[in-house]
Amino acid sequence: MKTKALILGLCACGIAIIPSLLGEGYLIQVLNLAILNAIVVLGLNFVTGFTGQINFGQAAFFGLGAYATGIATLAGAPWLAALFLSGLVAAIASLALGVPTLRLRSYYLAMTTIGFGEIVRLVLIHWEEVTGGTSGLRAIPPISAFGFRVESQMASYYVLVFALALAILFALRIRNSSFGRAMIATRDSEVAAELSGVNTIRVKVLALMIGAIYAGLAGCFFASTIHYISPDSFTNRQAVLLLTMLIIGGTGSIWGAVAGAIGLTMLPEAFRFLDQWYLVLYGSAVIAVISFAPGGLASAIPNVVTRLKAAR
Amino acid sequence: MGQLVINGLALGSIYAIVALGLLLIFNTVQIVNFAQGQLLMLGAFLGITGAVTHELPIGFAWIVTLVAMMALGLVFMAIVYFPLRGKPPFLIILTTVAMGIVLENLALIIWGPLPVSLPSPLTGRPLRFSGVVLSMHQIVIFSTTAFILLAQWLFLTRTRFGIMMQATSQDLQTARLVGIRVNRTIAVAFALGSALAGLGGLLVAPIFLAEPTMGGILGLKAFVVSVIGGFGSLPGAVIAGLSLGLIETFGARYISSDYRDAYAFVIMIIVLCVWPRGLFGEKSSERV
Repeated sequence: MKTKALILGLCACGIAIIPSLLGEGYLIQVLNLAILNAIVVLGLNFVTGFTGQINFGQAAFFGLGAYATGIATLAGAPWLAALFLSGLVAAIASLALGVPTLRLRSYYLAMTTIGFGEIVRLVLIHWEEVTGGTSGLRAIPPISAFGFRVESQMASYYVLVFALALAILFALRIRNSSFGRAMIATRDSEVAAELSGVNTIRVKVLALMIGAIYAGLAGCFFASTIHYISPDSFTNRQAVLLLTMLIIGGTGSIWGAVAGAIGLTMLPEAFRFLDQWYLVLYGSAVIAVISFAPGGLASAIPNVVTRLKAAR
Repeated sequence: MGQLVINGLALGSIYAIVALGLLLIFNTVQIVNFAQGQLLMLGAFLGITGAVTHELPIGFAWIVTLVAMMALGLVFMAIVYFPLRGKPPFLIILTTVAMGIVLENLALIIWGPLPVSLPSPLTGRPLRFSGVVLSMHQIVIFSTTAFILLAQWLFLTRTRFGIMMQATSQDLQTARLVGIRVNRTIAVAFALGSALAGLGGLLVAPIFLAEPTMGGILGLKAFVVSVIGGFGSLPGAVIAGLSLGLIETFGARYISSDYRDAYAFVIMIIVLCVWPRGLFGEKSSERV
């Protein structure tokens, strides 16, 4: 117990001093983006990881949240109202998509969400008076609530870390609730879950909605910390990248989702020199992980550790 | 009007061919191949490499492309499907997505990002009937589609192997029990499914230009067509494909050309809400 507290304390110190090591600039912005992706992927983990449904709409939910905040705060709405609006817009969109399709076989949600992603992208590009078209929205006001204004990337970092911590705690609580067990039962066998009294359609719709709200809220933070949004950040390609972050991190693992998102957002910065080959290797790595370690790194690492211990 | 109908049907025929390839694989192994559009793109570029870069006669380039696509379908199956047999289908679907990323970026490395054009096998002056123009390539598209439909129908209902494939799609385990070499039928499904995607690419490239990122949206349209037609139903896919081609062409002309690519998805979402099993009913039974 004491060592656990010590490790936790050390981690907290490490997280606290990172910004002063990086300094204000590009790297801290990438780190902020990584934390935001972690929240979005945590949301995706509810519907894909726990409940086993493929959702390609997560980037679109993220985009809806970001544009809701961008449009609302540029029009003068208070930031907290924009935050609420972002979550609400994403939740409504997820219900509209989930209710008709989650009664059907699993690939229908996959296709509908892909279609939805494409529609959102086209609307963001062509509804120029409101969304700014391909050039997007600029100079979005920063986070400001309870008399605080979060201007710098460094200050945003601490806010985002706090938001991620809340997101993780909430996810852990849900995971260990009866609803969490219902989601996993639905993934493992819908028939068995139904027989045990789980309303699987309701569970699937709720899982999708919670995930969409995560994405919508993260979208709000994205708009008000990066200050600039354009349709490029919310395409189906981004949705696929979010899914692969979850797969490589470990579907169904909360810590795996966080690690996968942060790792795979930072990784391209280190592998710039690979250029076009990066995505080729990336796709191949995803295939390899699914084939050889379907639980992702979250399951592979403990396996390796136990094997090493056994060998000793 | 007449011109829009011809153009719409030509576009729709291509959607139908790609959807037929998708369904050939789906009906056999119950896996939706999300890389079908990228296979189509490879077909287009293999055709261009043959006919433009190496200046082969266009008919010969077509044959080489289709044979290469069959081989590629087998490789695809070996990487994406076989290692994951019996695992949850959503994992296999995700490997097809990842394979799509790999293929698209390999194509970007090999052929570069610039759009390229492929000549049509039939060149000549377009035919005119009372104001409606029918280009030589549209004749190629219509005759190829008619040929493919006839050939696929004859293959599935009149040949021993086709009937074995239908049996496999109805119940893989029972098919194996009655002595059908299931692995062989699955391999043929992937080879032919990939060749049909390649054929779609060869037909599309002379109308729109070919570029490595062309696959994504065309693959999605093939799913939409399959969903609207009732997943698994071949006649459904053909009718839905032709209808989508018409809707897109008329929608682009009379409603908005900006949202051309959105019509397909809007229609799909409406169809799913109103007739969840598609217009022609899902063919394959639900498996528990």
